[in-house]
Amino acid sequence: MMSPISDDDIQAFADRQLPADRRAAVEQALAADPALAARVRDIERQNAWLRDGLDALLTEPPPQRLVDAARMPRGPRRAWQWLAASSVAALATLVLGFGGGWYWRDAQLEIAGMPTTFARQAAFTHALYASDVNRPVEMWAPEEKRLVTWLSKRLDYPLHAPDLNSMGYSLVGGRLVAGNERPTALFMYENAAKQRLTLQARKQPPGTEETAFRYAVEDGIGVYYWIDDRCAYALSGQLDKAQLLAIGRLVYAQLNTPEPPK
Amino acid sequence: MLTAVNGALAPPAKARVAGPPTMSADAPLPHPDLVAAIPRLRRYARVLTGDSARADDLVQETLARGWEKRRLWAAGTDLRAWLFTIMHNVFVNQRALAARDAQNVSLDGDGEAGAAWQVPVRAPQQAHVELQEVLRELSRLPAEQREVLVLAAVEEMRYEEIAEILSIPVGTVMSRLSRARAKLRRTMASESDPVTPLKIVR
Repeated sequence: MMSPISDDDIQAFADRQLPADRRAAVEQALAADPALAARVRDIERQNAWLRDGLDALLTEPPPQRLVDAARMPRGPRRAWQWLAASSVAALATLVLGFGGGWYWRDAQLEIAGMPTTFARQAAFTHALYASDVNRPVEMWAPEEKRLVTWLSKRLDYPLHAPDLNSMGYSLVGGRLVAGNERPTALFMYENAAKQRLTLQARKQPPGTEETAFRYAVEDGIGVYYWIDDRCAYALSGQLDKAQLLAIGRLVYAQLNTPEPPK
Repeated sequence: MLTAVNGALAPPAKARVAGPPTMSADAPLPHPDLVAAIPRLRRYARVLTGDSARADDLVQETLARGWEKRRLWAAGTDLRAWLFTIMHNVFVNQRALAARDAQNVSLDGDGEAGAAWQVPVRAPQQAHVELQEVLRELSRLPAEQREVLVLAAVEEMRYEEIAEILSIPVGTVMSRLSRARAKLRRTMASESDPVTPLKIVR
């Protein structure tokens, strides 16, 4: 005999936080009791309404004073520190407009018109599609094979969608997006908490050098990007840097291993 | 006239404070992550304070405290949750001070709803209509309920994480969440205003 369904169960179910071992019992109860099912729908609708409304706040550019507060510990500073920091920072902010340890290198790459533009574009593209509740992708995961074939053809590069299930993210689907000069393939993933990640890939012109992992933050979206073989990749999401890096490593590892025979 | 606009909007003294973004040698906090957290901190602060200027003050104070307490952050742990914890504490302290200053302030959570809240008037852009509605409905909830609701429904944090941020038991998170939802449902339902089109997602 299982324990009766509590209000906590209902909320956890609607918030997608119910432990897996409890889910079946709740699903069964929902099927049997329309009032319970209506309550779940109510919560889900309320959540979506709150998110839709409040997400508008995320797009507001933060005032400079907060960006400064994030970057700079308060307190007295020595004059040379101010001087050295302000010249480097002014240059970096001018060229890039985001924080990170890669100011200098990225600034140079940006001049060369290379991956930094890609990272920025990847973040914008992520923001655009990951926030779309109903239509984030053009083709959904059940059609993965057709999706991959189509995108590989459009990019003229053999792609595959990495399997991120071990990190709790499953494939939602994908789409083709307009890149800077070149078409870009986008794969979207989602975890149980409905957090979304996108992996974007773009074929590079011959002669492009491979790069290590780089990290950038654009409008609150973290992006790891790298160039591998002849393709540039960007993994974006509103995640911890460490989490994003862990997933990035997994993606990287999978892209570099031939696909296991099915 | 530019000078007039400047004078009206920003105190000139403050405009000069724009400091150099940099990292001091002993600072273990990852800057990009801190900068990246700003939009979410601002959003949460907005929900807490109900006013964008006070919200930004709260975020600034939170970031400053973050730097002061940077040794307490365990590298590799969730920076966002840590910052939310700081913000919650700053906010609670500020409210306690404000309550002490005001003589006849009801300490009953429901009593304060609406009073200090001002939903700013903005250009009626489509995106903002929905935002204003949400902020208005949230303003009717006591702060304690607003917090758990936004952390769970909007920030999509785990209940355990919310309990930690607010220093309350998980059971309290659940009961506040339940009350917040019921209350929001009632106010939304009782609103005869037909201009409240809910996006129904099928």
